[in-house]
Amino acid sequence: MEETSDRLNPTTDTSGVTPEFDPKTMRSTKPGLKRLFITTSVLFSFLLGVPFLWKSVEIYRSPLPFHDIDSLSDQIESTPLRFPCNLHAVFVGFESKDPDNLRSQIQDGINQLTHQSSQCGSCNVSISVTVQNLAEQCLETLAHNPSTCSYRCGVIIRNEFGVGLDDTVDESLNDVFSGCSENSGKTYSVVVVNKENANGEDEVIKAVVGKRRHAWVVGSGLEERYGDIVARVSEIFVKVFMNGGRDEESIHGEFMPVGSDGKIVLSFSLLNSNPRDWVYDWDFQRIDDALLAPVTKALAPIANISVESQVLYHTPKSSFSSWDEKLQSYIFRTSDLPFFVNSNEWHLDTSAGASGRSKILQFVVYIPSGKECPLLLQLPNGEISKTNGFISPMWGGVIVWNPESCDKDSESPIRNTISPQDLEQIVEIFLGQFRQLFGFKSEAIYTSGLGTYKILPSERGFTEWELDVLSRKHTCFNLHSCSTTLGSLSRLVRSLPRMIIKDEIGEQVKYSLKAAKLAQSNASLGGYSSSASSSREARSLAENAFFHPSIMSVSYFSYEHCFAVYSPFFLPVVGHIVLAAFREWKRYRQEKAKYLTWLTRKKTA
Amino acid sequence: MASLIRSWIPLLILQSFLVAIAFGSKEAEEFSEALLLKPLPDRKVLAHFHFENRAPPSNSHGRHHHLFPKAISQLVQKFRVKEMELSFTQGRWNHEHWGGFDPLSSMNAKPVGVELWAVFDVPQSQVDTSWKNLTHALSGLFCASINFLESSTSYAAPTWGFGTNSDKLRYGSLPREAVCTENLTPWLKLLPCRDKDGISALMNRPSVYRGFYHSQRLHLSTVESGQEGLGSGIVLEQTLTVVLQPETTSVETNMQPSWSLSSLFGRKVVGSCVLAKSSNVYLQLEGRLGHESKNVDTEIEAHKLWKNADFDLSLKPDRVLRESSSLLFIFDIDKSSDSEPFDLGLTWKLPSKWSCQQAPLQATRFLMGSGNERGAIAILLKATESQEKLPGRVVTDGRCTIKANIFQIFPWYVKVYYHTLQIFVDQQQKTDCEVLKKINVSPSTDKVSSGMLEMMLELPCEVKSAAISIEYDKGFLHIDEYPPDANQGFDIPSALISFPSHHASLDFQEELSKSPLLSSFKEKSLVRSYTEVLLVPLTTPDFSMPYNVITITCTIFALYFGSLLNVLRRRIGEEERFLKSQGKKTFGLKQLLSRLTAKIRGRPIEPPSSDSPAAQSSFLSSKLIFKIILVAGAAAAWQYFSTDN
Repeated sequence: MEETSDRLNPTTDTSGVTPEFDPKTMRSTKPGLKRLFITTSVLFSFLLGVPFLWKSVEIYRSPLPFHDIDSLSDQIESTPLRFPCNLHAVFVGFESKDPDNLRSQIQDGINQLTHQSSQCGSCNVSISVTVQNLAEQCLETLAHNPSTCSYRCGVIIRNEFGVGLDDTVDESLNDVFSGCSENSGKTYSVVVVNKENANGEDEVIKAVVGKRRHAWVVGSGLEERYGDIVARVSEIFVKVFMNGGRDEESIHGEFMPVGSDGKIVLSFSLLNSNPRDWVYDWDFQRIDDALLAPVTKALAPIANISVESQVLYHTPKSSFSSWDEKLQSYIFRTSDLPFFVNSNEWHLDTSAGASGRSKILQFVVYIPSGKECPLLLQLPNGEISKTNGFISPMWGGVIVWNPESCDKDSESPIRNTISPQDLEQIVEIFLGQFRQLFGFKSEAIYTSGLGTYKILPSERGFTEWELDVLSRKHTCFNLHSCSTTLGSLSRLVRSLPRMIIKDEIGEQVKYSLKAAKLAQSNASLGGYSSSASSSREARSLAENAFFHPSIMSVSYFSYEHCFAVYSPFFLPVVGHIVLAAFREWKRYRQEKAKYLTWLTRKKTA
Repeated sequence: MASLIRSWIPLLILQSFLVAIAFGSKEAEEFSEALLLKPLPDRKVLAHFHFENRAPPSNSHGRHHHLFPKAISQLVQKFRVKEMELSFTQGRWNHEHWGGFDPLSSMNAKPVGVELWAVFDVPQSQVDTSWKNLTHALSGLFCASINFLESSTSYAAPTWGFGTNSDKLRYGSLPREAVCTENLTPWLKLLPCRDKDGISALMNRPSVYRGFYHSQRLHLSTVESGQEGLGSGIVLEQTLTVVLQPETTSVETNMQPSWSLSSLFGRKVVGSCVLAKSSNVYLQLEGRLGHESKNVDTEIEAHKLWKNADFDLSLKPDRVLRESSSLLFIFDIDKSSDSEPFDLGLTWKLPSKWSCQQAPLQATRFLMGSGNERGAIAILLKATESQEKLPGRVVTDGRCTIKANIFQIFPWYVKVYYHTLQIFVDQQQKTDCEVLKKINVSPSTDKVSSGMLEMMLELPCEVKSAAISIEYDKGFLHIDEYPPDANQGFDIPSALISFPSHHASLDFQEELSKSPLLSSFKEKSLVRSYTEVLLVPLTTPDFSMPYNVITITCTIFALYFGSLLNVLRRRIGEEERFLKSQGKKTFGLKQLLSRLTAKIRGRPIEPPSSDSPAAQSSFLSSKLIFKIILVAGAAAAWQYFSTDN
């Protein structure tokens, strides 16, 4: 109240001291600062409180390494993963060939074949060439990779090689190259044997690809046609060993029917379309033990495969078939295939408790009902399919199996068991379909522009070099899917700024990136199994992060909610404070001006 | 195409045959179906579908199956279920009219909603995790919210009150689960013929769900093989019990309605499921034996049984069996075909009356007390007429007694005071030691576990009624814990009353007891009945309350803050000077305000040098009245519009 009394003073003695003092425009005392100070301090304390409030309503978001995710996906896009592979070519019975020259020629051939497709999972080739002349002396290229196989000179005898069964030749080659070390990628060997032209006639060149990682080309008079031979060696390497002899177009390499936990469930179902006509059963346990177990064992490095089977009844197909008089059978066409699988009636699903995140491949044997028997698949070119089946990528395969006779003799349905011979045929087709789902062909002969190659089949369904291809593709697929999953996670997280992200997710992303990096480095060092396992880990961690339950139930505490809760308090209070501070400041300026005018007046006076 | 593989297949054929020899011939999976029809005394008809699927002991369970559903087998393998029962029920079993002392009612009269119990074959510490995983798997398999049984507040571990004594037993029920066709379809998917063929083709959804009672049950148990290195077998029993009202055209009210399968279900059976080992239809008539002769050897006598003065059957039964009080007609439906469908009909000619055998005591349960704070639960056991005739009385110390077990789960928000347990026998209060033989109480923990009460009563045989009451307080839930329709109230699951010394069984003295339905009737089953579900209204908060509280508090704070700030920066002297200088011109509100503030502060009013206060006050009042009218008008408009919408 001091101020007011101060201000009262001038009014009392205005007339006395200075006659020109005007109380409306000037004042004699300094304007006080107390109120201005109070209001501004309140205002500032409010402003200081804003960051604290902001912090308190903030949502916890674990920091995700967005930059690393982006760089990983960029890296995978731009530089496809390549594995080191060694090619060891042995030329037996060649007199005047310089191994270094041959090496560069093979390298040129390989480059020519691979330059257009530098896809993920291909090879970084290193070549070594050994030439064994007629005197059984060897010339070798200076191997810049010391770990490649050392071929003991003279083990392959020119004129005795390639006699007998191909299988035994393959075995003998395996003994020849058994000293190969495997620590820096796989070593593939191609043996070219130039035989003596015993009969004098122009012998056909025989090219065989074995079950392991060996191939051989046998013929006579090869020395003269050595350019052709070099081209074939590089072709065997690129088309067969590197790409698995598959067409680029057939199934895109990025699809691998393996679950993110590295498991595949092969679910076999026997569908009796109408059990009133006939009922078929099978003894699948025997098939599983005898025929499928070796395959699952062979594929163990790629995926953990489990097999289950069931028999279902009353499962009609959902497409129509028409009677063909000429073939005396019912026909369904390839255009009907998308509608063949009847998802309403075919309850192929396994129990929720069994699978988890593993990939389920359905293999279905469909037994047509009496009304549509025999049922045949007509190919677009008018021919009848030999397998009478089809595959659906990433889902599985269907085989239509027609009973021996389509006549219903008796009223009561007959209960039959599919004979072991028939069942084996069915399993053959299954395996063919299974190989096809992985992108392999099931033909024993691979034909290219330069000639044909015989491919030895393995009892286990997949040869070793095919498994190598699969494992390379698998690593690639895993890394690719890991990067896309992490990419979409980061996009999702960035698009929802108020979504809670738990630490767990952040950790999983971090570990997934780490595993992906490890897989890449392992791959470049040639560790097939280690890179496959760490890539699998990367993928499953990425998917765990993406499908984390806390993300699925988005707890979204919106800005609107924030405003609704805080505005009843902050709007009126802030209004008061800002207004008060503004008024006080205005008044202070006004009063100060008054005081200044009085001072000047006093000075002039 | 497959030439690659073909080349090595022959090598393995030999091997596969060797394997086949080693395994030898195995027992095959078996499936059987049956339908039991039974006219009920209150002019309704009970239809009981019974399907049994047996998987013999094998190591390939969950992997290779022919008839048995793979999904169930995988469930058993994965969660190591020893025994399990899941039931979906709609409607309440009428113990008085539909019977309470036969195997059918003791096994198939289930509480409303979903009931699940399971015994596991895992170490004690893993039982709870197995239970949780099992509920989730079943929830997905049967399209029901069984996963709500996962939380530890919704299930209990009965020790002896449930009838099955095992410490690895878990029991839970969801009284509010609505049961409908989306639960039936996955249940049917487990049958090899689904509802495409055989007896299950009768399950026309509208007629099944139109019934008075509908209970769909799945019971599975594992059978130990006893052999070393061989897994256990699984028996899967699926039953569907429906009580239907046949449409009657007769005007006579005391006449039992005549019916046929097609009139009950709207469909006919056109043949058995070809995969079933046996498929029979049974018709059970109760209370029909008093006057008829015992031997039915002759053809005429047999004929008399199904075409007589009382009733007519439309088809000739293949066999007739009899029990102490009921007749059983057996029909084999294998012979029916598309051209000659099986359509069993029953035509009554004379009015007929009979009664069903009832459980010794009939149980009802109700709530007492009023208000949202506390109450009491009472269970009333009333003697039934047939009580005297029943076997199973126990004579101890020269006294004849009836034993009754009561098993009850209380949700944690119903806080039961166990010391208030009172037992009345024939309206006289008894001390605990007189009638209470055994009691086991596990109190509830707030938000952690539900409470459980198991009691064994020993009542005198001549008891007319017994009542048990127990008081409780209603708890408060957190706002997040209320269900969407909190005002409807909360359900207390049914109590289970079982009579451990009474066992129901129907023995038709059938040497061909291959029929799974009849053999399941033959087994002695514990007589049990479920009480009603209770609906407890809890105090439900106004769910918009938090926002209201926030808004009001914030407004008050804002007002306080604003006025404090204004007071702080107020210059009273200056205002007074201003007022003085303006004194002549100021009228109205400002003056009034200054007066008011002066009054509040307790200072004497400096009377402004004013003119007539009368004129001023009149001016004031007119303005005030205008304002009041404005506010009242706004309020009236608000009221009008808000009620209108």
